[in-house]
Amino acid sequence: MSLVETQQLTKVYGQGETEVLALDHVNLKIEAGEFVAVMGPSGCGKSTLLHLVGGLDRPTEGSVILNGHNLAALDDTRLTAVRRQQIGFIFQFFNLIPVLSAQENVSLPLVLDGARAGTAAQKATDWLTRLGLEDQCHRRPDQLSGGQQQRVAIARALISEPALVLADEPTGNLDSRAGDEVAGLLRRVVDEWGRSILMVTHDPRIAAYADRIIFLKDGRVIDETRLNAASVGEADRVKEKVEAL
Amino acid sequence: MSVAWKLAWRYLSGHKLRTTLTTLSIVLGVMIIFGLNSMIPAMERIVARQMMAAVSEVELSVRSVSGSPFDSQSLAVVQSAKGVQSATGILSQLVAIPEGLVRPAVDEYQVVKTVIVIGVDPDTVTAVRAFSISSGRFLESGDTTAVVLPVSLSQKLDLQPGDVWTLPSANGTVDLTVVGIFKPSMPALGTEEIYVPLAQVQSMLNLPDQISVVEAVLDANADKAAVNSAIQSELGSTFTLIAPDGDSEFSSAVQVGQAAFLLFGILSLAMGGFVIFNTFRTVVAERRRDIGLLRAVGASRRTIVLAILTETLLQGLMGSALGLLLGYLFALVLMMIVAPLAQKFLYMDMGAPIITLGNFLVALGLGLGITVLAGLIPALSASKTPPIEALRLESVGQVARKVRTRAIIGFVMIALAVIALITGSFNLAALGAVLFLAGVILAAPVLVRPLAETFGRLLNIFFAREGHLAQRNLARQPERAAVTALAMLIGLSIVVALAGVLSSTFGGFLSYLDRSLGADYLVMPTSLMLGGGNMGAAPGLAAELSQVEGVAGVTTLRLAYGKVDGTDLQVIGIDPQTYPVIAGLEFSRGEPAEAYAALDQERAIIVNGIFAATTGVQIDDLVTIMTPSGEQQYRIVGVGLDYLNAKLTTGYISQANLERDFLTTTDVLLMANAVDGADKSTVGARLTNLISAYPAFTLLESDTFYQAQVNIFKAALAMMYVMMAAMALPALIAMMNTLAINVIERTREIGVLRAVGSTRKQIRRMILAESLLLALFGTGLGILAGVWLSYVLVGAMNFSGFVMQFNFPWGGVLAGLAVGLIFGVLAATLPARQAARLDIIHALRFE
Repeated sequence: MSLVETQQLTKVYGQGETEVLALDHVNLKIEAGEFVAVMGPSGCGKSTLLHLVGGLDRPTEGSVILNGHNLAALDDTRLTAVRRQQIGFIFQFFNLIPVLSAQENVSLPLVLDGARAGTAAQKATDWLTRLGLEDQCHRRPDQLSGGQQQRVAIARALISEPALVLADEPTGNLDSRAGDEVAGLLRRVVDEWGRSILMVTHDPRIAAYADRIIFLKDGRVIDETRLNAASVGEADRVKEKVEAL
Repeated sequence: MSVAWKLAWRYLSGHKLRTTLTTLSIVLGVMIIFGLNSMIPAMERIVARQMMAAVSEVELSVRSVSGSPFDSQSLAVVQSAKGVQSATGILSQLVAIPEGLVRPAVDEYQVVKTVIVIGVDPDTVTAVRAFSISSGRFLESGDTTAVVLPVSLSQKLDLQPGDVWTLPSANGTVDLTVVGIFKPSMPALGTEEIYVPLAQVQSMLNLPDQISVVEAVLDANADKAAVNSAIQSELGSTFTLIAPDGDSEFSSAVQVGQAAFLLFGILSLAMGGFVIFNTFRTVVAERRRDIGLLRAVGASRRTIVLAILTETLLQGLMGSALGLLLGYLFALVLMMIVAPLAQKFLYMDMGAPIITLGNFLVALGLGLGITVLAGLIPALSASKTPPIEALRLESVGQVARKVRTRAIIGFVMIALAVIALITGSFNLAALGAVLFLAGVILAAPVLVRPLAETFGRLLNIFFAREGHLAQRNLARQPERAAVTALAMLIGLSIVVALAGVLSSTFGGFLSYLDRSLGADYLVMPTSLMLGGGNMGAAPGLAAELSQVEGVAGVTTLRLAYGKVDGTDLQVIGIDPQTYPVIAGLEFSRGEPAEAYAALDQERAIIVNGIFAATTGVQIDDLVTIMTPSGEQQYRIVGVGLDYLNAKLTTGYISQANLERDFLTTTDVLLMANAVDGADKSTVGARLTNLISAYPAFTLLESDTFYQAQVNIFKAALAMMYVMMAAMALPALIAMMNTLAINVIERTREIGVLRAVGSTRKQIRRMILAESLLLALFGTGLGILAGVWLSYVLVGAMNFSGFVMQFNFPWGGVLAGLAVGLIFGVLAATLPARQAARLDIIHALRFE
């Protein structure tokens, strides 16, 4: 059984004259331990796909099956619990709570799940240490660089040991060096810590870190490509593919 | 929950200006409620202490249910009752000392202008009350003009045994000789008590053979309940063995004051609630990404609601705590200012504010409650937003639709309100006022743009470039602008409405004054509160006045107290023949000629508007009045009022009935007219000469008195305008809050303006223009609503028996305009400075 499966997944925004078909009957699967990137032009439905898979939004038609559970059938309380326990989110603009420290931001999912503050804080410190931020635990987001903030966000996404990590343009707000660092970290998330990742990106260089790329256009899947991350030049190959499409 | 507290505290401390302004709005309301109501228990305590039994030996007190003095024959009933060891009859009254008789005090701040004169039988009182004599002796059988003073009073006035003290009397004055000084068991908090032989006090007060209370001690093994029961049964229902309430007129005034203070405070808090609501709506919009993130990582809706409510609760706690502290200080300062006036006009020493648990809990509860309630809607709204919606901007289409629907409903309500007003029906007009306010509240966001453009044209004369930007800024956030303007609207509508009521009341009362105190000469007692310790005069004075050359006629008012269905009733005795000629009542129901004639012929009563409104009585209804001589039925023959007694439940009966049923023949106010063509000043001089023997009274010509009352009203109006401006303070805070939020939200835009060449002065002017637009918006609607409300309130007062014409509140409108514009300028001060000082680079990078 796949970790994630979408069946005829469709999302329509607006009504009447302002109706927009963001996703058009998309079927895809993500296996456990797989790193999947989603690419496509602006407005093709990449982020919409991510939000539906992550239970942040409800589909107009179709379903999302995560670990055998149909997310569309869950009420808000159970869906919230799924997000807390089984999914980690990494956003383009980091989305850290500005008034909390790095450690407090990372421990949020556990605290919201009812864990004791002390236990959550210790686990947060462990993850921050793994990601090279042991000295930044008590700093607030405005005291960290972009790359550091994104690493805090990655730690937050991983602290509850979710099966699936969703990353929406995780390097979009970073310079190329920081972006490579973050992409490399995401690769470790899959290889070392055994999570699955579904990542939206427009950057072929970052997409090249994935095992597979799905290409969307006008809300539909138009192509898929398997990659060999060990192979040099995969980024160029992805770029050519994007330009061809 | 710890997440909620942590987030709440961090967010509050991260926006200090906004937190301060929001908290201030709660501080003001709590301060008013707690502070003003801390004064009430102090005033009540003074009154209660006056009425307490002097010593604990007294085990039984008998008074008339009506509260008036009664025949001393009842004493014999108590003395002969089984189980009663000793009983004594006492007649006591608060006596105001007129200026001419006030004795210089050792300390100029302790001048004595009032005493409680207690008439006792020296032969029996010492068996019931203990007196600790420190100098001289107590009263003895055979004493006539002796007096015994408490040590504190003797020290204040430097009176020792053998000294003479002159006090007012119904027969002019009486010289009392100090025979002893005693040490009271309880220190007097207000007016001090002196003891005089009973017969002398009965003469001083013109209450022959009357007493106000019987006090008794019981046998050692007596069954108190059985004794009480036997005495009650013997005396009948005219008497009560329970102490009466304190000074009813003062207690009524205190209760009215308490209700007014509470209302004032609640209105301030309600406006504070607007500020909280506005702030948290903005906060929720600002933090949509944070809220979306929290939902995305697994926060439940409940957690979001709790987080925001925790923040409002923290604000409420801070505001309430500070409000309670400032409220006590406010009361302390206010009582220090009011104390001399209270001593002069109410004859009471105010003391310090008293904190009661009830007042503390009410103020705290209201402060916290309104804050949390105001934050509830934004909190619930935030929790209902799906995580994905919170991660992007709300679509303009959706906002516009919501606002449009509410606006349509609002306009319909406004249209219905206008129709209701046009019908001319008072009830519909009252409903219309409520509909108008509600309609404006709903339609306000849609009105922002057109009104901003309308007022903007005026503003652009002074703020050419900045005014256009200001209009655009307001139109961009119409709901926030509307809520801010509504706080101004409510504050100012109350200002204008109260001004309309006051000026109409002013006009109404002056017409009562003309009618009821329009005689050529007024022989006035010391206090305008007829029962306020005035000595009164025996009927002889009126007779003497009528014999003065040049006097055409004399009429008098007499005063007693009764009860109707347990409610106090002030009973004024008038002469139905002379009173309508020389003075008269303002009738709202009944035929005056018939009513006065009925007073002369039967047990008939004219009641005032308050009595009629609270009891719902009609002409020809019968009311049962509890009098010192038992229950008596009176027929209602009219509803009318006079200037002095408009605010207490009052009935007017003939002086003959007053004497028969209430045993009173003492005149408390006398009025006289001059013969046509007589030289008024000459007649006045003769009258002045006559009443010089009665220092408890002062002669005033009606013009002089009229002018004095007009001056008092004007002073009261001026004070009311100041208070009303204070009520609009929360509106000022609301505007500052909104402008501060606007500045923060537009940091990047302000950075761009500065980068492309706007000067700091232009930025300040832009904020000022925005503030003035908001002020004009709120002021315009507020004045409109206020005039409407004042019309409705005056109508309501007419309905409750205060007949008066509606006076358009020009003063209130001008005051409202002035307050609105001044606040518009003041509110912009801090936010404009903040905006002008923004660092350009920092502002351009602001997210």
